[in-house]
Amino acid sequence: MSDLVQVSGLAKAFGEHAVLKDISLRVPAGSVTVVLGPSGSGKTTLLRALNALEIPDSGSVRIAEVEVDFAKITPGRGGRLSKEQSRLIARYRAQSGMVFQSHNLFPHRTVLQNVTEGPIVVQKRPAAEAAASARELLAKVGLADQADKHPFQLSGGQQQRVGIARALALRPELLLFDEPTSALDPELVGDVLGVMRDLAQEGRTMIVVTHEVRFAQQVADQVLFIDGGSVVESGPPSQVIADPQQERTRTFLRRILDPL
Amino acid sequence: MPHNLRLPAVRWLGALIVLLFGAFVALPAAGAATSGSHPQSIGRASTASVPKVLRVGTEGTYPPFDFNQNGKLTGYDVEVVQQIAQRLGVKVQFVQIPFDSLFAALKAGRIDMIADQITINSERKSLYDLSSPYVDTTGVIVARSSEKNIHSLADIKGKRAAESSTSNWGDIARKAGAKIQTVEGLDQSLSLLQQGRIDVLVNDQLAVKYAIRVTGATDVKIVGTTPDASQSAFAARKGSGFMPQIDTQIAAMKSDGSLKKTYDKWFTVQPKVPSTWDTIRTNLVPMLKGLVTGTLPLTAISFVAGLVIALGVAIARMSNRLVLSGVARAYIAIIRGTPLLVQLFIIFFGLPELGVKFSPFPAAIIAFSLNVGGYAAETIRAAIQSIPRGQWEAASSVGMNYPTALRRVIIPQAARTAVPPLSNELISLVKDTSLASTIIVTELLRKAQDAAAPSGKYLELYSTAAVYYLVVCLILAFAQDRLEGRLGRFVAR
Repeated sequence: MSDLVQVSGLAKAFGEHAVLKDISLRVPAGSVTVVLGPSGSGKTTLLRALNALEIPDSGSVRIAEVEVDFAKITPGRGGRLSKEQSRLIARYRAQSGMVFQSHNLFPHRTVLQNVTEGPIVVQKRPAAEAAASARELLAKVGLADQADKHPFQLSGGQQQRVGIARALALRPELLLFDEPTSALDPELVGDVLGVMRDLAQEGRTMIVVTHEVRFAQQVADQVLFIDGGSVVESGPPSQVIADPQQERTRTFLRRILDPL
Repeated sequence: MPHNLRLPAVRWLGALIVLLFGAFVALPAAGAATSGSHPQSIGRASTASVPKVLRVGTEGTYPPFDFNQNGKLTGYDVEVVQQIAQRLGVKVQFVQIPFDSLFAALKAGRIDMIADQITINSERKSLYDLSSPYVDTTGVIVARSSEKNIHSLADIKGKRAAESSTSNWGDIARKAGAKIQTVEGLDQSLSLLQQGRIDVLVNDQLAVKYAIRVTGATDVKIVGTTPDASQSAFAARKGSGFMPQIDTQIAAMKSDGSLKKTYDKWFTVQPKVPSTWDTIRTNLVPMLKGLVTGTLPLTAISFVAGLVIALGVAIARMSNRLVLSGVARAYIAIIRGTPLLVQLFIIFFGLPELGVKFSPFPAAIIAFSLNVGGYAAETIRAAIQSIPRGQWEAASSVGMNYPTALRRVIIPQAARTAVPPLSNELISLVKDTSLASTIIVTELLRKAQDAAAPSGKYLELYSTAAVYYLVVCLILAFAQDRLEGRLGRFVAR
């Protein structure tokens, strides 16, 4: 199986603080990668770098056909990029769809409009076609009957599923999930994880940052344990979760699985 | 405190207005002085016909010569001009301008002729084309009834007097050694005299007698006359060439008795003093007209234009480009750091010196739009910056660039946040448009001033104006509530 994503030597520092140190990673097409790690480990920064919400200082990322060497991307004052660079970043960003921890839905638009906003406004797809495929996506995440509501009228789990439909609507090669269930009431977590499992079974390539160890065990093809901005350990869940080799991994898993 | 104050509040309000305006007379006067070098004073008089539409400047606050009654300009000078025009077969268009700006307006070509009791003197004869006299009068010295020491011009040396700065009476008082405080017109100097803020005033006996009759004032009296009789004439630019035709008609009106008839109508017949209620009632509609055709369009157009400016400035202010954000900062600093009235005066009175001349209404629109732009820019910037970062990230994530994210995601949400402070600015603007009265835009306050000048009923008429403003602002506050509800309906609370 060919790799859809190839990350090499990614590094990022905020001032003196190095958040990512030389991270490398391969994600085969159609596979699910779960990223585990304590807070502040850099896992969210890694995910955001894949959607260009953070611009790493160095290293390179290839997603499908688009490769970016971040050493050559040099933001000016206030993060301003040259025309050429921002065009490259826009193409790079279009390869992935992002699901945020706090969903970040557009509160002033309906559920349907949230999903069609990107396709119509950015991708310039015909409104009718965009709406039709948005309705299909909403059906897929179990919200066919909520299309005309506004986000505030939905539960947290429903909002997060709209977020997933919004990311899917852009038809990205790669789906990124940034702790999609962390902000949810426990009884709503299952709905969201269920949708994500369905997507994995469809063969979508996904990278998921989460603390849901059971989800990783059941769905992930690959688990990455990150701490202090570096990959501590990676491999199939049967190895990293069931039989971790590193002490740091073991400590982390113990704390997550048995907090008391 | 001064004596015989029937209605102290009336006088106080009048004094406030006087003080406000007294401070601003300096600027138009300066404008007049500089435009005096206009290359129009060609010595030899040529003949030309009277313009088909004769634009006649008059202050409109000098009863019984020119003033507003029931919302209409009338008076002796006005009627004489109207009769002359009728005889000549031309149309008259009156332009109301404060006295001290009349000659500047004539030189600037905003008007063709002045009809406002211009006393003939040698200086004016050399500077302007003057008609033959259409009224003979004399100057009088007026003091408070309790005054015992002022009997003639010789006694006013060192006394406080209030006069229009470019008037003949002002010159006489100044030469007699009085300390002159400048005001807009006789009604203001009379109020100051009654309040004890000045000691004496010099003015036309016809105007003084009329004012004393109409206001029923007993606390002031005529204590003496100026030595020379004075004659009033119309004034046009030097070399205008049409004065001989005006003179012919004045002569005709003298010989057929129509000038005398008009004179008697205004100066010998006892004017009816209208009751307070009549004054308010007859001015309700003219003031409403001022509100609807002046204040409201001024507010609406300036606010919309101002918001457009503000949005651009707010975005420039947040830009990473140092020059762009620097320009935006400077603009905001200048607008917020200078009085709106000064901005208004620079645009209306100042720019013409650079050859940029706006009519009153457009000048007011420009000044108010720029002002709203400076203030609302900061409001809009704050509203934009209050939108959580996650919304920007979500917009980026679906592929939007900065302008698209602003337009589709950020501004629609920021609008909700900005409604209360922007409503504040709109409500302030409604009231600020009253400043346009100083550059002769006929809006609500100007109408109230026009009505107050001849009647002296300041409290009643300015209160009526206040009620109009209040009603408009209450309606806007109500609309604000509705709009907030509408924009807020998709936001979870």
